[in-house]
Amino acid sequence: MALCQNRLQEERKQWRKDHPFGFFARPQKNAQGILDLKVWECGIPGKEKTIWEGGLFKMTVTFPDEYPTKPPKCKFVPPLFHPNVYPSGTVCLSILNEEEAWKPAITIKQILLGVQDLLNDPNPESPAQAEAYNLFKKDRVEYERRIKRTVRENAAP
Amino acid sequence: MDSDDDFMSAVSSEDDILPDDSDNDDLSGAEDFDFDDEPDPDLGMSKDIGRKRVAYDISFKVYQPADIEKQQDDLINEVNMILNISKEEAAILLRHFRWNKERLIEDYMDAPPQVLEAAGLAQESASLPRLEVQPGFVCDICCEEGPGLASFAIKCGHRYCVDCYRHYLSQKIKEEGEAARIQCPSDGCDLIVDARSLDLLVTPELKERYHELLNRTYVEDKDTLKWCPAPDCQNAIECGVKKKDLDKVVPTVSCLCAHRFCFGCILSDHQPAPCELVKKWLKKCADDSETANWISANTKECPKCNSTIEKNGGCNHMTCRKCKHEFCWMCMGLWSEHGTSWYSCNRFEEKSGTEARDAQAKSRVSLERYLHYYNRYANHEQSARLDKDIYTKTEKKMVQLQKESGMSWIEVQYLNSASQALQTCRQTLMWTYAFAFYLARNNLTEIFEDNQKDLEMAVEGLSEMFEKPVTELADPKLKVEIMDKTSYCNKRRIILLDDTAQNLADGRWTFNVELTGSAPASGGPSNRR
Repeated sequence: MALCQNRLQEERKQWRKDHPFGFFARPQKNAQGILDLKVWECGIPGKEKTIWEGGLFKMTVTFPDEYPTKPPKCKFVPPLFHPNVYPSGTVCLSILNEEEAWKPAITIKQILLGVQDLLNDPNPESPAQAEAYNLFKKDRVEYERRIKRTVRENAAP
Repeated sequence: MDSDDDFMSAVSSEDDILPDDSDNDDLSGAEDFDFDDEPDPDLGMSKDIGRKRVAYDISFKVYQPADIEKQQDDLINEVNMILNISKEEAAILLRHFRWNKERLIEDYMDAPPQVLEAAGLAQESASLPRLEVQPGFVCDICCEEGPGLASFAIKCGHRYCVDCYRHYLSQKIKEEGEAARIQCPSDGCDLIVDARSLDLLVTPELKERYHELLNRTYVEDKDTLKWCPAPDCQNAIECGVKKKDLDKVVPTVSCLCAHRFCFGCILSDHQPAPCELVKKWLKKCADDSETANWISANTKECPKCNSTIEKNGGCNHMTCRKCKHEFCWMCMGLWSEHGTSWYSCNRFEEKSGTEARDAQAKSRVSLERYLHYYNRYANHEQSARLDKDIYTKTEKKMVQLQKESGMSWIEVQYLNSASQALQTCRQTLMWTYAFAFYLARNNLTEIFEDNQKDLEMAVEGLSEMFEKPVTELADPKLKVEIMDKTSYCNKRRIILLDDTAQNLADGRWTFNVELTGSAPASGGPSNRR
């Protein structure tokens, strides 16, 4: 527990000192207006020169008490049209999976950059929603049209 | 007759001395019998069981925990010497190659750096792992810093504080049961934490667990090794039977702890039925048995669409919910033909009713066929479950017998071997019924059923004698009878198993279900006898 709080404080410090362009990440305020380090609001911009360019996608990152032994949970709010995002909005990514590639040394910055990479580079091996996956596999034109619409709906300020 | 008796007694007393190995005795006995009978195996086509070897006998070896560790150590030492790398590295490489030493050495000789990298090992062989205090160090996991903060890194140089490293390792070992493939905690670093580094960091208790898990991976990585599934048994069994052969052979092995199981699927001894049929059968039983009984007793099928219907009230005018077919519940005939005699069916002789009843009967036959086999299977299974009971009863009986008849310990052992014969034979019988359920009828099944009947009768006979009160057991005549029957049962069992196994190996059984991977059983001469 103490480890979790310590680490999150340090992550916050590091993020404020330096973070990649276009991203944002800040702990949420709870009902009493106090910062809750264990729930962060983040924003991930679509990469330049991809169909995702121009969008900013909001994601809630929730850290368990066992963090950093266990990975945080990342959830797009509202849920995102993407082959590796569950209908609930939860992201399916190997580095976020305890049984797969999660390592305690992975930072928030690395997670957010990892999710940004995933946007334009979906992994067809582990589909999480039927709609986006089927279009991605069978009708690339319609898939890209849908994404452009998503980008318009989530345009960066 | 006399000399026969003597021979039988001699056989059973041999069993007496080694009660635990009675089964191995059976096997080797059968083998001898085979060789003696059949000096020229290839030309002896006319004989039933005379072949090169007993078809269901498969060779296997039991290893105890110390043996397993020694085997690992021997392999590690060998690789350590040949490739001139440290023992820890040799162990990681061997695990990476699933203990295939030849492949490891060959691949390593070709391209050492690639092999090392793939296995998660750094190239340069550095000094012993040790904790270090480095000035200005900040741990990337807990973000602690400060003078005197001890840190650790494996060869990749990703350095974390000792507490975090420890915590990470204990999480992997304790929570995830991981041992051979624990990687460096850094993102994307595939380097494996070796045993010596681990020993330096964790508590003795965890260390023990870690080595236990490592041992486990040795057995689990090798296809020819499997753990004995008996509770609390730590032995492993080596057997060369491959997965693809499982439609040809039922590889039954027996551990030192006396547990007998199938090497193919780890379930307890299910000879003569092959693994795939066993799986099908168990699934069917789990799904069906009680339901099937109930269906048979309480329902009828719609004469048109065969939906199962339970009549839970009302008159005999049935309208099937599914296909809207209207029929009479009593005679199963068309309702429209009932004319004016509605609601009181007296049309027994009418044609449509008879036909419908015939069709009904036909569909019931398959259900009843299943129940026939299931009930017999379940009966023997139940008897097998009472094994433990029988065993303690036997022990008591033996003590009592010694007291009352003045027989010595060795003289009452025949009861023990009788009880063991009962148990193994019942186990076999039980599976013969599952096996028979899937057999398509032909000449071979005839022989099989004869064998099954012989064994079953012998077993029931023995069971009856065995249950007699102690006062009668003391009769020397009964003792001889029991001993005869015991060895007769064992022999009948071997004959049955040998026959089924031989036909299985030759692909001569025809099953009424698809067996994946099995050669078409109908090809070639169907009966070579």
